[in-house]
Amino acid sequence: MIAQLLTRDELQRARALVERSGLSFEERYDNLLGLFEGGALVAVGARDGNVLKMLAIEASHQGGGLLGELVTELIRLGYAAGFDAFFVYTRPGSAPSFEALNFRRLVNHPQLTLLEYGRGLERYLEAQRPLVREGDNGAVVVNCNPFTFGHRFLIETAAAQVATLYVFVVREDRSAFPFAARMRLVAEGVADLSNVVVLESSRYAISSLTFPAYFLKKSDPVAQIQMETDLLLFGRHIAPFFGIRRRFIGSEPTCRTTRTYGETMKRILPACGVETVQIERRQVGDEAVSAFRVRQALRREAYESLRTLVPESTLAFILSEEGRAIREKLLNSHGRH
Amino acid sequence: MDIRRKVQAGTMQSSDLMIFLEPADTLSIEIESTVKKQFEHLIRARIEAVLERHGVKTGTVRVTDRGALDYAIEARMETALGRATEG
Repeated sequence: MIAQLLTRDELQRARALVERSGLSFEERYDNLLGLFEGGALVAVGARDGNVLKMLAIEASHQGGGLLGELVTELIRLGYAAGFDAFFVYTRPGSAPSFEALNFRRLVNHPQLTLLEYGRGLERYLEAQRPLVREGDNGAVVVNCNPFTFGHRFLIETAAAQVATLYVFVVREDRSAFPFAARMRLVAEGVADLSNVVVLESSRYAISSLTFPAYFLKKSDPVAQIQMETDLLLFGRHIAPFFGIRRRFIGSEPTCRTTRTYGETMKRILPACGVETVQIERRQVGDEAVSAFRVRQALRREAYESLRTLVPESTLAFILSEEGRAIREKLLNSHGRH
Repeated sequence: MDIRRKVQAGTMQSSDLMIFLEPADTLSIEIESTVKKQFEHLIRARIEAVLERHGVKTGTVRVTDRGALDYAIEARMETALGRATEG
């Protein structure tokens, strides 16, 4: 019998099974399912958005159809919730069990294999095919929360060095400015650059926020492995499709995570035939222009100072009715994003 | 008959298949199978036969198969179509 696990007792049993399997229990999920046999919990699995995780099967019950049964139900629930494709991050040794269920490998990393069910990556790339241009192309991956003169400078400088520059806007909506607005402000902010193509990253920019770490050891550098996985996916699948030979990043004076990401990029991407090019950030006053600085100004309601940081299109959006909700949200929050 | 909504039928168990249907302007059938090399054309023919029998001319059909036999493919397609066209 398969059932959603909800009670405190069920959750405790699920946690015990997950931990017995050498995994750690993560609180973040949309569904947590359990398979029972004669009242005993013999398998568990969870879904967090389009990521399946914490799949654990009692040793005595492995090798049968339980994994398929669990994954079927998780995908049924995920499909009903609006997702078409699903990721599994697993130990390399477990990857074949998922391949047998028609999952496909996207990334092989020494500590993990990323697989996908539902050909989402293929369908995403196929949908972008009309945007593919011949030539020696480049890419930037940006969040633009919101679009600033700093982004403009990075994109303009990069675009001057390649045939076509692809600007991938991170799809994930965990920023103050929602994806649709971020995307629109980027498009408006670079509209005059004829060799720049703006497109969404879909779900193929791996976020540290959704990256599951339950199968890694406590001592593993989780953030580092997440970055490497993200870059391998970009280098092995996205860059070749668009003919991207160079990836541009801005120099990072303050945020350590971003700086580490840049260093990891220089280490990982060359093996995929992609060179990393770092561009010095544009300064206004003594400080580099950054979206963080813009959000700080918004928190102080220092709207006039924005003129030196963002173009007219971004400013107009911030001051619009639509932007008001974001301004209010920022006034009441103190996180970095 | 038209595919009017997104539906799913079937399982991931061995010898079964999962079918996803959704409305679309044209007809497309995507097949993934653990025995794709040997049997993709036969799976496709069986799915097309069911679609034709019901007069379905448009929609996206996505299939992940684990070696289902003809009658299983038929049954899962019938169920999925029943769900996609009702109401």
